[in-house]
Amino acid sequence: MVRTRIGALVAAAAILVAACGGAASPTPAPATSAAPSTAPTTSAAPSTAPTTSAAGTPKAGGTLVVATPGDINRTDPALVDDATSTYVAQQVEETLLTLKPGTGDVVIPELATEWSVSPDGLNYTFKIRQGVKFHDGTDLNAAAVKVNFDRWIKIPKAYVDLGYTYYIDFVITAQVQGVTAPDASTVVVTLKAPNSSFPVQMTLTPFAISSPKALTDGNASAPDFKDNKYATGGPPAMVGTGPFMFKEWVPGDHVTLVKNPSYWNAAAGGPYLDQITFKPIADATATLNALQSGGVDLAQTISPVDVATVQGDSKLASIDRGSACNLGVLGMNQTHKPFDNLKIRQAMAYAVNRKAIIDAFFGGAGILASSWAPPGTLFVKELALPEYNPDKAKQLIADSGVTDLSFDFWYPSNVSRPYMPDPKGEFEAVLRDLEAVGFKPNPKNAPWSPDYLAAEESGKYPAWLIGWNCDYLGIDNFLSTAFFGYRGDPYGPGPEFAYKNDAMNQAMVDALKATDEAGQKAGWAKAQDLILADMPTVPIGSSKTPAAAAAYVKGLVPSPTLLEFFQSVWLDK
Amino acid sequence: MAAPAIRVGRPVEARASRGLWSDAFRRLLRNRPALVGVLFIALFVVTALIAPLIAPYAPLAGTLADRLQPPNTAHLMGTDLQGRDELSRVMYGARVSLVAGVASVVMGVFIGGLIGALAGGLGGKVDSVLMRVVDVMLAIPGILLAIGIVAWLDRGLPQIMFAVAMVNVPIFARILRGSLLSLRESDYVIASRSLGASGFRVLVRHMLPNSLTPLIVAATLALATAIIDVAGLGFLGLGPPDPRTPEWGTMLTDSTKFLRQAPWLIIFPGLAIVVSAVGFNLLGDGLRESLDPRLKQ
Amino acid sequence: MGKYIVRRLLGAIPVLIGLSIILFAFVHLLPGDPATAILGQHATPERVAAMRAYLGLDLPLWQQYLGYVGGLLRGDFGSSVINNQPLLRELLTRFPATLELTVAAMIYAVGVGIPLGRFASRHAQGWSDGAVTVVSLLGISIPVFVLGLTLQYIFAVELGVLPAGGRIDPRANLHIQSNFVLIDSLLMGRPDLFIDGIRHLILPAIALGSIPLAIITRITRASVLDVSNEDHVRTARAKGLKEKRVNSRHIMRNAWLPVVTVIGIQVGGLLGGAVITETVFAWNGVGRFVVEAINNRDYLVVQNTILIFALVFLAVNLIVDILYAFINPRIRYA
Repeated sequence: MVRTRIGALVAAAAILVAACGGAASPTPAPATSAAPSTAPTTSAAPSTAPTTSAAGTPKAGGTLVVATPGDINRTDPALVDDATSTYVAQQVEETLLTLKPGTGDVVIPELATEWSVSPDGLNYTFKIRQGVKFHDGTDLNAAAVKVNFDRWIKIPKAYVDLGYTYYIDFVITAQVQGVTAPDASTVVVTLKAPNSSFPVQMTLTPFAISSPKALTDGNASAPDFKDNKYATGGPPAMVGTGPFMFKEWVPGDHVTLVKNPSYWNAAAGGPYLDQITFKPIADATATLNALQSGGVDLAQTISPVDVATVQGDSKLASIDRGSACNLGVLGMNQTHKPFDNLKIRQAMAYAVNRKAIIDAFFGGAGILASSWAPPGTLFVKELALPEYNPDKAKQLIADSGVTDLSFDFWYPSNVSRPYMPDPKGEFEAVLRDLEAVGFKPNPKNAPWSPDYLAAEESGKYPAWLIGWNCDYLGIDNFLSTAFFGYRGDPYGPGPEFAYKNDAMNQAMVDALKATDEAGQKAGWAKAQDLILADMPTVPIGSSKTPAAAAAYVKGLVPSPTLLEFFQSVWLDK
Repeated sequence: MAAPAIRVGRPVEARASRGLWSDAFRRLLRNRPALVGVLFIALFVVTALIAPLIAPYAPLAGTLADRLQPPNTAHLMGTDLQGRDELSRVMYGARVSLVAGVASVVMGVFIGGLIGALAGGLGGKVDSVLMRVVDVMLAIPGILLAIGIVAWLDRGLPQIMFAVAMVNVPIFARILRGSLLSLRESDYVIASRSLGASGFRVLVRHMLPNSLTPLIVAATLALATAIIDVAGLGFLGLGPPDPRTPEWGTMLTDSTKFLRQAPWLIIFPGLAIVVSAVGFNLLGDGLRESLDPRLKQ
Repeated sequence: MGKYIVRRLLGAIPVLIGLSIILFAFVHLLPGDPATAILGQHATPERVAAMRAYLGLDLPLWQQYLGYVGGLLRGDFGSSVINNQPLLRELLTRFPATLELTVAAMIYAVGVGIPLGRFASRHAQGWSDGAVTVVSLLGISIPVFVLGLTLQYIFAVELGVLPAGGRIDPRANLHIQSNFVLIDSLLMGRPDLFIDGIRHLILPAIALGSIPLAIITRITRASVLDVSNEDHVRTARAKGLKEKRVNSRHIMRNAWLPVVTVIGIQVGGLLGGAVITETVFAWNGVGRFVVEAINNRDYLVVQNTILIFALVFLAVNLIVDILYAFINPRIRYA
């Protein structure tokens, strides 16, 4: 749900606006690490290279039953931001650009054959792929793409108020000036300010291209959302160009997709499956049971504690998503005592046995944090984070001169995240570590949504467990978007951690503006060093979101950001 | 009159001075299953009282390095997710779970019994009004009612016990009222009424003692569910704020994810709940039988 | 009798009004704000204000309540603020699922519980009585989700004889008409799917039925023992009537009363218990729906779904009270 994708770009956009406004820099600026600025403008269709299935010739046919942890929310990709809704929609509707399967940051063309950016960084020109048809038989062309952009730009206010438009708000509304279609195969998007992360943002499923005819027939821009059929199950709903076509959504029960027999990119192999059924199973153990008993073929996520069980079952295959794209931290808020004191924050870092926690609660899928972003993120720096040392923690407490060591310490219930698979277990372990060095944490607990999230985000908790699921593997997505980017009012640190260090923020702004890799690298390295010196939170660890499938499911290319396409998937049975 | 039966956890001797009760007590002593029940309960009560003396480890002590050990000589019931000794936690857990279970059931029986007795005994308008109130309470699924109460009264063990009690109130009220209803037209009640006994006297002297059976059964059964309900609220994020408190239901709940890897973490607290539930139910049966004047031999 | 039913139906009106007020207060007093819940973590104060206005939460409570009741009277159940599906349609999809599960659980609990209770009463205080006590208490001492997951593990994973969850094999593409799987499969002319539906029902019904099973067993046992010692039963025995006849004519006839009361109450409990069972067995019923709605502070969904729970519950209990009169002719409804 929240904290998966929602609002990841919120602060990114804020930073951009602030950076450009404040720096008065005429040069085309921010290049995020994630956006490969030297993007290949190739016209080759994306080819998928399945890694889970090695041998065998793909067989056509069959139904794939996929367990998801929740139900989808809406059937319009533009109006969703949760991991389940996008997981389903990305099989049906395609984006102009996409990420190379299996990577978290390599942008490749999809419905656009190539793209280029003007020297001032304001105009992005996309060449639209020809000969592609939507599922309703209409043609994909520049005009159709323009219809989609125009719809995002003029999204009804009611949808914004309903909170359905996070990605549109911060990618389109905040950044896009206008869209033109000079000819049938060219679309030009004009930005309000330069933003070299625009291509990577265009890979996000909410910016998938829908059939203009279906948008009209489905009343997709109805001023009152109740009249919108396109987003509430149709018909028509979810009409795109992808390898699978939307058939039905029975809320709470299942979503069914069927094969698109005339898929434009069949040359890349697939689609092989006749049908995909997505079934929400909320309980992790029930998901595993369903998988083992053959009721479902693939589980989008499983609990890390079950990875060993899956590996020990010859009828199942464990799916390794390559790298982790999340980070769990022990949050501290500097407006609360005693966390205004640096030595206390450092003592917290030395007091917690992070490695033991990763070993115990991340089920073998865990990675000990070495910075404020997971290993594998571009420009992440291996930092000398404090190692478990209770004596050192006690010494730091003594040096700090702080005598009142009591504070409220919060953990959430009703939740399990890749960066926090067992919040309660982890909390109990941290609690014990903190008490062992003399802290007096007062245990507190609240349900994750909405109470916990609302309270921690607004800075009400002195110390708590929290983390971040990335949108893409960019360090900006962690350091500035998720954690420490200035976005307060007036412009300054956000209320969540209340961590203020202008030099650190300037380093991030510089890194975002830098056009060359060396400049970006230097900026991000400086920011990380400054953060380490200030120890605003204690980074604990990350985990590769584990998944599992029946052994006969072949051809899936796992992705760290769950951008997985079932075109290449087939059933060997 | 209803009191001794309601306070199932209290020694029956308290009222042994009266003839009826001393008879009942003597009958109870002859009831072997009831004695087994008393034995089970005594086992847990004693364990709860002297837990610090007999528990091999402190309930919160342990390190992650020792986690999830199967039962062995150092840890007879193995270790839990935090590396703590499960046996010690089951022993300390007796304190919280028994108190929570008994207190919430007693509260529920008292309030529910009062409503049911008034409704079933007095009938008429009182019955109609009270039963409509009970219907409203019953119509809200118990767990939702409990969530609401905890949400209003804030977190903490006493609040949770009250919430669990309130879930049982309408049930107990309806059960008692149901059995009173069937007695109202019975021969001996009509007889005592025609002899000029007041409505209240008939209710207390004649109807209540004869209608407690289903209530006693329901109350002793509610004990097991009360322990589980306390855990259920914890599962929904409304438990006592300190998650380390050893408590059977929560120990069971937390181990669900490890059903395959560490079944002993399900078995031992589960057994503790079952054995105490069996104890209270056998005692309940015994009480019911020994209080029934018709069983006098 | 007809008069009595009319009176009871009229009596349900104040209950429903009271319930609607209590439910309204219940959800509006829950900590946490629906606007924040809907907008998620990055809700800004302006957006929350806009959202509250959109939802009508900025109006005085009494106005909101009147609006709510007005909608109900017009037959407008509103829609979910999360997925915007009309609530009536959502309930029509999900209620049959819960009903199917509840009925199956009740059949299990009554069908096993009453014979078990009678069996235990015949051997009161003996070993088999003790065994019945322990077995029935086992079901009540284990949380439903632990029991459900254990049943899944044994029967679906290890033995592979029953499905682990869901209402029907998703690969079967059942054509949905009534939303009752057992009816739809027959409408399709597919007895194999009917059997598949039954197979999917077994484990959740056992999990959900375990608590009522224990209660019904214990109450039946106690009730039969009670009645067995009544004078008229003794008289019947003394007259030399066959034990079988004593049992059916004299004991069970009277022992039914408390049992029927408890069955009526347990139906309410089952609807509540379905919350967890439905989560464990991926059962798309109202129980799961209402808990998600509470988490999302989806006020209308919570209020109206519980109101429908209440209607079903009141109907069942009206039937129970009529059964009282039927079983025990001495109860007269003046």
